[in-house]
Amino acid sequence: MKSSPSEFEIFWRTVLARAYPRVVGLSRNLSWLFFDFAFPLVGTFAMVFVYQGLHAPRQYLGFVVMGGGMLAFWQNVLWTMGTQFSWDRGNGTLELMAVSPTSFEAVLLGMAGGAMIMTTLRAVAIIVLGSLLFKVTYNLGGLPPAIGVFLLTLAALYGLGMLLASLFLYYSREAWHLGDAIQEPVNFLSGLYFPVHALGAYVGGAASLIPVTLGLDAMRQFLLPGTPRFLDPALETVIVALEIPLFAILAVSSLRFMEVRARREGKLISKWS
Amino acid sequence: MVLALARTWSGYRTAVRLGWLVSSNWTSPVPFVIYTIIRPISGALILVVMYNVITGGRGNTRNYLAFLVIGVSFWAFVTEGVSDFAVGILEDRGRFKMLKYAYLAPLRFPVFLVGRASSKLTSAVASVAIVLVVATVGLRLPINPLSVDYPLLAIACLLAFISVMAFSIALSVVLLAGRDAYGYGEIMAQVLYIVSGAIFPISVLPGPLAFFASLSPLVYWLELTRRSILHGRVYEMFPGLSDGEVLTRLALATAGTVLLGYLVYRWADRQARWKGYIDMDAAQ
Repeated sequence: MKSSPSEFEIFWRTVLARAYPRVVGLSRNLSWLFFDFAFPLVGTFAMVFVYQGLHAPRQYLGFVVMGGGMLAFWQNVLWTMGTQFSWDRGNGTLELMAVSPTSFEAVLLGMAGGAMIMTTLRAVAIIVLGSLLFKVTYNLGGLPPAIGVFLLTLAALYGLGMLLASLFLYYSREAWHLGDAIQEPVNFLSGLYFPVHALGAYVGGAASLIPVTLGLDAMRQFLLPGTPRFLDPALETVIVALEIPLFAILAVSSLRFMEVRARREGKLISKWS
Repeated sequence: MVLALARTWSGYRTAVRLGWLVSSNWTSPVPFVIYTIIRPISGALILVVMYNVITGGRGNTRNYLAFLVIGVSFWAFVTEGVSDFAVGILEDRGRFKMLKYAYLAPLRFPVFLVGRASSKLTSAVASVAIVLVVATVGLRLPINPLSVDYPLLAIACLLAFISVMAFSIALSVVLLAGRDAYGYGEIMAQVLYIVSGAIFPISVLPGPLAFFASLSPLVYWLELTRRSILHGRVYEMFPGLSDGEVLTRLALATAGTVLLGYLVYRWADRQARWKGYIDMDAAQ
């Protein structure tokens, strides 16, 4: 008789199973591909034109183009990971996940892994296209450390995404509107379109809790010489690295708490209300 | 005739009320107000920081700051009227599964859509007012409510609302063809953001895009809102045109948008009925 798979095996099977539709599904639904590509690109172009209207140095166009690349990840975390449980609840998948022997963490990790591959490709496309169109040049010597910071930022960002997703286990329309409401403030606080230095010590310090803020600033310092320094890029990298376990622990605790609350009040099976 | 008008008015009011409830009854009033203003305030802050980084807030560039702030504050009408409206109609079909009942009701469907769009535009008023007040106080913009040219502002806004409604109603019926079209309304609003002169003069755009932008009623509307609020103390996109000439262009562009919107609506409506989009289960 075949023995039951271990918890470890179930965890990784779930990760792969949830990542699979994210990767394969994109080639089957070209409208998603268009949306994920077009949305950050259009927003990026708008901000480039603002700088051109202000006769800003070309270096600032580089800030915007890199910010546009990171926006693709933030959008992805917010709308296809954070809010995914809301869709899953609506179509009945959430209750199936809850009664299966797997965990929500595995499901979310699969979502993140699957989405990360495609979003990275899209972000690269945005940066390449934006850089060519607006003649942005980079310090290629800074590429290896920038890639390292980028990977750390992604890990922390997807931890934040898991934390947001936990809200959707319990809340319905409120959390959806929360996602809508935090989009623009995060764009502001993370300095997607301007150097973080411009936020000042207090606001910039508080905004450092968003992984994109320090990660993007460090990447800019490595790739765009002359970027006004908010913190030393090495220190920014360390802080982003510390945010990875911080958000992971918060996400797991929040998932447990929200799951218990949702089970107690029947929210796992309640539809959009 | 009078009875028909009374029924239309009653249906319109019901659609406005429905739109308002769907938009707002997910929370209590205070979080709703915060939700309504946080997006435009953050959008304005992004532009203000960008402006400060480049200009250092020099006195001779203050006209441009006023240009940015008024543009981004009034943009809430387009965000609500285009993006949020399109999402609202798709949710009526996909989430609440009631669009077909609105279509089946004795009220004509376009009246229902105009009512829903009206509620969106009305809910944007608070956000526009708050951003302007915050900017006036926080950025010391020389906006004086007693010296605003209200008749010009009202006419410009009325024409703009008509064109925004015509555009968004046509767009939302076109989007019914998509199974997962929730993001397209926002993308369209972003595209309009680029070609409307909301946050930079359209002269910055490459030639063909600048020409395309000059056909949009939104460009002339925003120019008139700026002139009516801060005449002579705000950067002007069309310094060679008088207020009357800009208003004429706005009226012509609005007429063109309404005509085009009507034709697109008729086509999309026929397609929707023919192919069963009105009650399509978008989750399948």
